[in-house]
Amino acid sequence: MISRVAESAFWLARYLERVEDLARILYVNVNFVLDVNLDGVPRWWPLVLAVGAEKEFRANTTRANRDDGETVQQFLCWDREHPGSIASSLDRARENARTIRETISLEMWETLNGLLLWFNSAEGRRLYQRERYEFYQYLRDQCVLFQGFALETMLQSEGYHFMRLGTSLERAAQIARILDVKYHALGPTGRSIEWPREIAQWQAILRSCSAIEPYFKVAQGELSGQRVAEFLLFEKEFPHSVTRALDQAQKFLNLVRPRGKAVKNERSVTALNDLRDQLDAMSMDEMMRRGLHKTLLWIIASVEDVCSAVQQDYFLAPPQVRRHRTAPWRKLTRTA
Amino acid sequence: MGWCSVRRGELAQRTAMALVTPLRVGHEDMAKKLSAKKVARVSEPIFTGYKPLVATYDEYFAEAGKVRPQASTVVQHLEGLGRDEIRGRMRVAHASFLEGGITFSVYSDARGGERVFPFDPLPRVIDPAEWRFLDRGLKQRVEALNSFLGDIYSKQQILRDKKVPAAIVLGSPVYRREVQGIRPRNGNYIYVAGIDLVRDQHGTYRVLEDNVRVPSGVSYVLENRIVMKKTFPRLFDRHNVVPVEEYPNRLRRAVTSAIAGGGTNLVVLTPGVFNSAYFEHSFLARRMGCDLVEGRDLVVIKKRVYAKTTRGLQPVDSIYRRIDDDFLDPQLFRKDSMLGVPGLVEAYARGNVVLANGIGNGVADDKAIYPFVPDIIRYYLNEEPILEQVPTYICERKAERKHTVENIDKLVVKAVNEAGGYGMLVGPKANKQQRAEFVRKVNANPRNYIAQPLVELSACPTWTPRGPAPRRLDLRPFVLRGNDTWVLPGGLTRVALVRGSYVVNSSQGGGSKDTWVLENTKS
Repeated sequence: MISRVAESAFWLARYLERVEDLARILYVNVNFVLDVNLDGVPRWWPLVLAVGAEKEFRANTTRANRDDGETVQQFLCWDREHPGSIASSLDRARENARTIRETISLEMWETLNGLLLWFNSAEGRRLYQRERYEFYQYLRDQCVLFQGFALETMLQSEGYHFMRLGTSLERAAQIARILDVKYHALGPTGRSIEWPREIAQWQAILRSCSAIEPYFKVAQGELSGQRVAEFLLFEKEFPHSVTRALDQAQKFLNLVRPRGKAVKNERSVTALNDLRDQLDAMSMDEMMRRGLHKTLLWIIASVEDVCSAVQQDYFLAPPQVRRHRTAPWRKLTRTA
Repeated sequence: MGWCSVRRGELAQRTAMALVTPLRVGHEDMAKKLSAKKVARVSEPIFTGYKPLVATYDEYFAEAGKVRPQASTVVQHLEGLGRDEIRGRMRVAHASFLEGGITFSVYSDARGGERVFPFDPLPRVIDPAEWRFLDRGLKQRVEALNSFLGDIYSKQQILRDKKVPAAIVLGSPVYRREVQGIRPRNGNYIYVAGIDLVRDQHGTYRVLEDNVRVPSGVSYVLENRIVMKKTFPRLFDRHNVVPVEEYPNRLRRAVTSAIAGGGTNLVVLTPGVFNSAYFEHSFLARRMGCDLVEGRDLVVIKKRVYAKTTRGLQPVDSIYRRIDDDFLDPQLFRKDSMLGVPGLVEAYARGNVVLANGIGNGVADDKAIYPFVPDIIRYYLNEEPILEQVPTYICERKAERKHTVENIDKLVVKAVNEAGGYGMLVGPKANKQQRAEFVRKVNANPRNYIAQPLVELSACPTWTPRGPAPRRLDLRPFVLRGNDTWVLPGGLTRVALVRGSYVVNSSQGGGSKDTWVLENTKS
């Protein structure tokens, strides 16, 4: 597969995963704000911190309204100046898809193109103003529909594999970011008994990962920060856990690896295996001692390292080309 | 147990659920529209007030109220549908182009916007005998042009025999001295040609210009057909229309015809996503099942072309290129080109890669060469030209320039190497100032201009907010030359949507129609 095309497939998937995650987080938070009615607890600002958009947000707004729900939602949804917003991610996803229209299926293209048209239309804006839940839900549904079409209609070859690799890596980092919302809202997590508002926050986090019911099935009713973190980090059977996402990433990275020849470019495989091994070797107790926040930051940074290794190995020109210099033009050689 | 089997006891429940499942967001509006439409069906006649243009051939009506036989079923069917129904279906058609991203970019549009190429639902209908004639004429013309290129880039016999002035050929800015003496594989320069035809007031088809460099528009032919079938299925069903869907397959076969075993390492080379025809490049790659590459995805090493892939370098043996000569190879042509591939021409010269179309083809479709095409046909094929063309004055010749300047209010003046309806003066429609400006231009650079009498392009009923009205059109059939020559039945009909306009280009307010070549009814 053409490297540039593979890169577009990878990024298309990452952008769409961001849209889906953000839509889910915002959907849950609109509700959470109603649940927890405690003064002095920031409820919107932590989302800005979690997606790492603090600087952009500060540039656009005043400190006074930084925990204002409408301001934050406006910023995370519609602000095209901010590269992490839903609007920006959708634009980029669609542009990448347009560039590789020959690689994705017709159904995937129509879903994504239709979603952006709707998002930019008066109809989309109206729904945002009137039925916020439905708005977020529609966004999320369309992202999932796109994934479903990918699975059902796209050639399950390299292009698909690079997309899934992008989705998995992006998801691993996003789960870590969502878990970290708790830190930004209420401070570090200990092993002592937690306040009701902390419990409520953990529930919101589970819901942001579509994890509430799977969690209770596994945890059998118990709800604590440590258990939630353990679930979202290590539950192998749950699609939105870090370990599961990394497993998937390993699977798809294996599928795109060149076969047959001795492989020289293995930075990405090494980086991903290292991350998995270190994570596996870590006990929950140790992690809590070290500080959950710190661990999450380390996961986010490590995933980014894997992504740049993937870029090195697959998207940049192969070494033969980098070595090769085209001879300066002299005279055209003619055929006999 | 077949399709309808369900788990025991579930049938009743499922049906009940389906009945109460709410409509999804956005679908409610559609449902409302649909039900509203049924109520408000008005049967105001459609073609009753239609007046064909004076002194113009009309594709549907021999005269007001008198339908041509090939259009009679269309007219009858549309009358039966009614205006509101047609409007409703046009909205559906527009939405499906938009949602499908079937768009072109407009360079003058600062936002770099994508637009839908306006689609008119009233098809152009061509009867079988008429098409057989065009098919023969097009094949003959493209064959002669290919021979001409082969000759110009080798012995130049036609120039020695003085059938075409050497100064005009060798002085052409699109004559590529760099490929003189290089014979492409199979001697094939023209794999794809788009020949623009118009019909004069008598209905005679005339060639207006040839496009043998990178003709575009074929994706609209295929997409128009899909949308036409989707929005007017019964109208389509009542006709025996020759299908167009095999084009991509034929294109693939033609482009790889010079490769032993058919060749699997075909790519489509595009200037990139910002090009106005990007949709088409992507469309053709998709339908030919090959990679779509940009210049930066290719590299030439030791005079061979490779694609940069995730698994290293992969050889490329044929390129359907949609980049102009100028930008193809920065080593040889424009040094500032970021779109091309350094060394590509040398690989081509060595015969290591097939380029479709060949380099230097511009010299065959230069508007200054056009007047000589009938002679070119006679010279190489020893046949009389089948297709008529439009009388042309070459401004480089003193007497003809004088005639042009004196009659500028009656002529169409065209710059010889511009396309897209740019660099052109329609004398009868222009004002004094515009005419004076063109006289200045012609005198300053006569080689760059030709002039032709204004052809009263044929018109076809075209949907406007007030119902059908005559609008002028042209036709671009596509010709593929591989081991044999094949003409796509029909081609792209472009229509000037602006009242009274003669300019059909998409960049200047043109739209398109589905073009139907009817099959012989079996007797």
